[in-house]
Amino acid sequence: MDHLEERLKRIFATIFPHLSPNKIETADQESVETWDSVAAITLINLIEEEFGIEVDLDRASELRSFSEILGYLKERGVPEAF
Amino acid sequence: MKLAEALSIVHRAPADALEFPVLLACGFTPLHLQNYLAAHLQKVMPERRVRIRTGLYGDLCGTLEQFSQQDGQVVAVALEWTDVDPRLGYRQLGGWGRRVETNILESAEAKLVRIREAISSLPPSSKIVMSLPTLPLPPAFHTSGTQASRAELKLREALARFGTEIVRNPQVAVVNQQRLDLISPPHTRYDFRSDLHTGFPYTLTHADALGGLLAALIQPPMPKKGLITDLDDTFWAGLVGEDGHDGVSWDLTNHSQIHGIYQQMLHALADHGILIAIASKNSPEIVERALSRRDLLIPREKIFPIEVHWEPKSGSVARILQAWNISAEAVVFVDDSPMELEEVRAAHPGIECIQFPKSDYAAGLTFLERLRDLFGKATLSQEDSYRLESIRRAQNLAISNGNADSVERFLAQAEAEITFEFNPPASDKRVVELVNKTNQFNLNGIRYSEPEWHASLKRPGSFVLAVSYRDKFGPLGKIAVLKGVKEEGVVHLDTWVMSCRAFSRRIEYQCLTYLFSHFDVDEIAFDFQATPKNKPMEDFLAGLLGRPPSCSYRLTRATFEAKCPKLYHKIVK
Repeated sequence: MDHLEERLKRIFATIFPHLSPNKIETADQESVETWDSVAAITLINLIEEEFGIEVDLDRASELRSFSEILGYLKERGVPEAF
Repeated sequence: MKLAEALSIVHRAPADALEFPVLLACGFTPLHLQNYLAAHLQKVMPERRVRIRTGLYGDLCGTLEQFSQQDGQVVAVALEWTDVDPRLGYRQLGGWGRRVETNILESAEAKLVRIREAISSLPPSSKIVMSLPTLPLPPAFHTSGTQASRAELKLREALARFGTEIVRNPQVAVVNQQRLDLISPPHTRYDFRSDLHTGFPYTLTHADALGGLLAALIQPPMPKKGLITDLDDTFWAGLVGEDGHDGVSWDLTNHSQIHGIYQQMLHALADHGILIAIASKNSPEIVERALSRRDLLIPREKIFPIEVHWEPKSGSVARILQAWNISAEAVVFVDDSPMELEEVRAAHPGIECIQFPKSDYAAGLTFLERLRDLFGKATLSQEDSYRLESIRRAQNLAISNGNADSVERFLAQAEAEITFEFNPPASDKRVVELVNKTNQFNLNGIRYSEPEWHASLKRPGSFVLAVSYRDKFGPLGKIAVLKGVKEEGVVHLDTWVMSCRAFSRRIEYQCLTYLFSHFDVDEIAFDFQATPKNKPMEDFLAGLLGRPPSCSYRLTRATFEAKCPKLYHKIVK
């Protein structure tokens, strides 16, 4: 069983390889120095690739932290477990 | 390749490895083209750390002009229609239709000239790989989408002219549109949403495909050097032993055209300097009659050696490899029989074994494309046309080598002439090609990209010595390269390669004689490193010193002169 949160953590680990696993859950644009505009786009592309959804780019500016992204995915109906 | 995988490959690059820098020039935001290019390169260069640098967003020419200030670079250029004129995209609103068509054409012509000039201004030591526009033109023209407008055709004509002009420069390699179409169908390439929101116009699959092709041009696989072919149901249709020499066929009438196309391809490969040999289980007499047929599509003299008997094919392959003096890894073996392929594969690990697709048309086409990929070369050199003849001569020399007197007589009467050329120009691609493809007589096996090679020559006192050979039987062309530096009365050699075609002519001794004399030194130091394949070099150095060479091998003039045999070459500087 692969859980939504674990899959999202793997995406964060891919794009922010310097982040330790326990820092990922609390990661946000303020605390992660390398979370710039390019990283933000890449994050969206990775989420789309992993979960097979199209992220509403008008809402992309609201996705500023791990928890906000997790909430967004749940809101979009991405199942908790696969 | 998924984006996540590409990013992981890039992040896993060894942090302490030697950097492999690439400049990526594109008018759009490079985003994932950068990631995929880095990942594909990193995959084929795991021992290096690929680093992609990008230029000015929205200004391709400006980026190229900025890069022209930096020497010794690998430059990847991803050209799109918006670089030719921004109105040929969706991010700028400069007008479409009849009102601006003429103006677009005029500005496109001028812009292509400027891009061409910017590419020409890159340093001669650069390697430039380029893709021509991969995205569709927008609906900016007055005709319906089913009809090509004159303006579109004129744009494509200008682009084709640009492409043919640009590849006249031997530094430039252009992505083959036909291959790109195959792996990234045109309708799957453009991402409208991403283009408008982020300025990155490619779908991920297209970025992956294009990044892979650009990487393959930057770091192409080493072309194979020889092809060994079976005869029955491969070179021709039918069994010559049963059908007779005039019963085998390779034409449309007999529905055996694929064999004719194969022969035609072998002829083209032979013309490109690829060695072609035959390994067949048959009676030599009947094969001889079939190979004498005048309608054969590859002349018999282009095939050497021809091994026809009833012994196992692995033995034939071994003898052919010995005659060619190349390793199994550089050779392709083609046969219609899976059993024969397996027998050869087991005896010669590393050889590329391909089954001839005698009755599968789709597989036949794929087979021909595969041969092109395995043997394709970026450029053809003069040496390519000498290769087969020089191997025949080397074979004769090897036969006479059994007798010391006959060797001396042969060498004395060969009228051999060696030309030494110091610091050949950067445009001479044969030098780096020889360094990168030579395995056996190779000082240490170190490979260089062209920019790295030229960058290594910046050290004060460094030199490159290119060595060409000819004798009364004909030229061998450029067959050896030495690179080093003279410091404090010692010549330090960090590169020394010599083509296996030039063995047994004492050219290696003449090279050292020349170095001692030209630089007036009493010692030469060698950056020797044993590799799995450079035993001939190791044996040569061991023979001079009387013990196995170490990585800091040094040879004095006195020791060398005591061991150097008589040399008969005439020297040309």
